[in-house]
Formats: sequence, structure tokens, C-alpha cells
Amino acid sequence: MEIIIYGIVNSFKLILIAFGFTLVYGTSRLPNFAHGAIFVFTGFVAWIMMHKLNLPFLPAAVLALASAALVGVVIYQFILKRIRGMSMNEIIATYAIGVALIETFRWLGFKGTTFTLPVLREGVVFIADVPVDYQRLLVVAIGIVMLAAVWAFTKFTRTGLALRGIAQDERAAMMLGIDADMTGTLAMALGSALSGLAALMLFPLGSIVVEAGYNTLVFALAVCIVGGIGSWGGTIMAAFVLGFLQVITVTYLATHFQMVVTLAAIIATLIIRPSGFFGKHKELEERV
Amino acid sequence: MLAAEGLMVFYENMLALNNIAVRCGANQIVGVFGANSAGKSTLMYALSGIILDLKEKERMRGGEQITVLGKITYDGREIGTLKPHLRARLGIVLCPERRRLFPESSVIENLKIGAFMASRRQARETLDYVLEIFPPLKKLLRRPAGFLSGGEQQMAAIGRALMAQPRLLLLDEPLLGLSPAYQQVVMEAVKLIRETKKISIIVTEQYARPVIPIVDYAYIMENGSGVMSGTGRELLDNPDVKAAYFGV
Repeated sequence: MEIIIYGIVNSFKLILIAFGFTLVYGTSRLPNFAHGAIFVFTGFVAWIMMHKLNLPFLPAAVLALASAALVGVVIYQFILKRIRGMSMNEIIATYAIGVALIETFRWLGFKGTTFTLPVLREGVVFIADVPVDYQRLLVVAIGIVMLAAVWAFTKFTRTGLALRGIAQDERAAMMLGIDADMTGTLAMALGSALSGLAALMLFPLGSIVVEAGYNTLVFALAVCIVGGIGSWGGTIMAAFVLGFLQVITVTYLATHFQMVVTLAAIIATLIIRPSGFFGKHKELEERV
Repeated sequence: MLAAEGLMVFYENMLALNNIAVRCGANQIVGVFGANSAGKSTLMYALSGIILDLKEKERMRGGEQITVLGKITYDGREIGTLKPHLRARLGIVLCPERRRLFPESSVIENLKIGAFMASRRQARETLDYVLEIFPPLKKLLRRPAGFLSGGEQQMAAIGRALMAQPRLLLLDEPLLGLSPAYQQVVMEAVKLIRETKKISIIVTEQYARPVIPIVDYAYIMENGSGVMSGTGRELLDNPDVKAAYFGV
């Protein structure tokens, strides 16, 4: 029972972490390897807002999210725009920015485990005799709300539809007046904000550490690769598979095997089905 | 309305368009005919600006060097350096070869994405209009576009282009791979669009026969060069053209 409940919570953690990455890749074919750095960045910005500027949590959170989105916009406008379409360069550039960002925080003295964000509400509920704290329930709730919001956004709004169009055929979308740079900027802003949202939800469960930047990126990549990069359904499915796998590993082996299992999942996927277990692009191409 | 002069496009050293001049007046239908690889699609890419995107991507990749020369004026304004989405905003909308619908989106979603630049009212009205000229689409609205037949896809593609509120519609080989029955449907629709919407249309095709009755003026291309032009009648009466392009 414990495994089921914590498996679900952990899966939603992974969804929160990976969805921003998959959104950016799925809509703009941009691999944002600064994803993990933005995760850490948002956490520290929120912390600075709260402890240096004495803001309450909610305004600090909003400002932190906005600055995460801004980082996304800046990365796109100043760097990705110029190297668009060359995936290896995009990966190297975004990864370099990510490392620079993370290491800057380390250099500024943001290390150790003294930096924490508050939970929205203290307390524990018992679900089938398993204690679950409110923050973990909130992770699940926010995960569901985020999925629904993103789904509605891409289904019903003009810009959302433009993102879907450009994701499927960039040039055809251009012919209809959709600007690839506009959607790229927007996707980066949105993806970075989602990474920030994950940070604000997950950091209260522990403390803000710079290493989380690297782990987050690996988790996001693992989920996306197993699920089929850019595929939303696949991302959700893979988050559940890996989420449970991690919890089972922690329960029966040890915590530090979590990363091993995650990386093993990447390797196994790349060997068995390189396009991911739920990547449907291949199939569709074959049929047409 | 649109006048292109001295259009030249090189892919590296290969000359894809050689000094092409094309004109399309307001509310005219202009045909461009030529065999495979005559440069019809390159011409459409040049007019719609997609060629600039191709060029940019190739340059960044360090791939083929594409050179574009010539002058394109639209409504008295030089647009040769304008990006494709900005040309679309001015009303030049390309309905590309092989249709290029968004395969995972349903037909209705394709149409909605097409309406990116349209106001809410325009979108609603154009949707009604599209379903009016292509009634078979009504039953297909929820179907993913990738699963439609060629003819159905073509109707959806023209519909999607119309949703973008074109003033000059570029149709690149709209009859490619269609059954004669669907060719008829598409050509009737093109005629209707010109009459009811007052849109100018440039249409390319390999075979002139199904298209020639509705064009006001037509160009014939061979190996990237314009070899002949004239009204539909003039071309029909020319024995050389007849032999080469009408399969008589």
C-alpha cells in the first residue's frame, strides 16, 4: 500500500519535473538542457525573495516563476535563436548555460542544506493507514491541475493551437502566419516556468541544493527518453513507470540506487526501442 | 496585385529558377504549368518567402548555399526580404505541395490553427464557408488529418489556407494524386473561391488540362525557365503546348 501511494506521489513528482522539458521539445524541437538549472534557480530566487526581501511565500513564488520564465526567454532570444535547428549545438549551449547558472549559485555560497522553502500547510493525513503529508498531496493536485491547464491551453487557445501546429510542421505553420521565433520564445518561457513550478512544489520536501539541478535534468531526460521524446502521453506513462520503479528500488534496495535504476532505464530504452516506448512518430510515418 | 521580376534561385550551383517573371492581377486566377522539377514549387517558395527560411536553415547547418535574387512587389510594396509569416500576414498564403496538414491534429483543429491570424468572427464565418464549399469535410471534422484520403486532405488543406484570410492564395499542385472526381471538386471550389471571396489565386500543376479552363493567364516553365505565357485560349491553340502539356 505504501508503495502504491508513494509511487503515485513520486510519479507526479516526475511529471512535474519532466513536463516542462517535454513541452519545449514537443512544441519547438528545442532540447532545453538548462532545465535542471532553471529548477534550482527558481528555488534560490524564491528563497532570496523570502529571506532577503522578506516577502511572504506566495508573492515570492510568483516572482520566482516569472524570473524562471524570463530566463527561458533570454536563453531563447540571445542564444537558441541563432543556432536553431542544429540539435547538437542546442544541447551543448543550453547545457553550458545550465552548468554556469548552477555553479554560479555554488560560487555565491549557496551550498549545504540550510536553504529551505516552506510547505504551504503543515500536517499529515492517513490514506489507508499510510501517512502522507499535505505537501505531497499538493504535488499530486498541482500535477493534475498543470496537466489539465496545459491540455486546455493547447486545445482551445489561439497561441496554444499555434504551438501544436508548429510542433507538427514548422514550415506549414509559417505559411499560415505563425512565427517560429514567437512560439519558440513562448515555449521556452512556459517550459521554464513549469520547471520553476516543479521546484516550488518539490523543494519544500527537502532543502534547496545545487546538485538538484543535475539530478532533475537526468530525471527529466529519463522520463522523456523512456516515454518517447516530445510525446505527452508517453511522458505521463513513463513518469508512472519510473516513479514506481524508483519507489520500489528505495523500498527494497537503497536510496542511492534510485539514480542507477533511472540511468539503466535510459540505456535499456535506447537499446530496445530508441524512439521511446510510447513515441508514435515512427508508426505514423510508416503508415502515411 | 503581385508582380515578380527577374526571380533567380540557385541551390549551390544548380539554377532552379532562371529569370522568372510572374504577374497576378486582383481577382485573377493564374496558372503555372511545368513538368516535375521545372521549378514550380521553388517559385511558390520564393513567392511565399519559405525559400528564405530554407536558406537560413541551410546556412546555419552549413549545408547547401541557396541564393535568391529578384524583385517581388505586392500591392506596390517590395516584399522580397520579408519573412514568410509576415507575408502571410499581408495575405499571401501558400497551400503547399503534398498538402502538409498537421497529421496528428483533427481536421477541425487544422482549420483552427489555420485561423491563427483571423479574428474570432472571421474564423467562424470562414469555417462556415469552408464547410459550404467542401460539404464532405463536415463528417470528417473529428478525424485526425493523417488518416484522410488524398482528396479529403486537399479539401482540408485548402480550407486551412482559407482560414488564414488570404488575399492571394498560392496553390501548389492541388490536384497531385487526386482522382478525376476529386480534381473536379477542387477545381470547382477554386473557381467558386475566386468568385465569392474575391481572392486572387496562383495555381501550379503538371497537367494543364483540368486547370486551363478556369485560368485567366498562364505560364509554362521548363527547367527553371519560363518558356511561354498567355491566356488560357492562346495556350490551348498553340500546337507545341498542346502536344507537351495537354497530352493530346
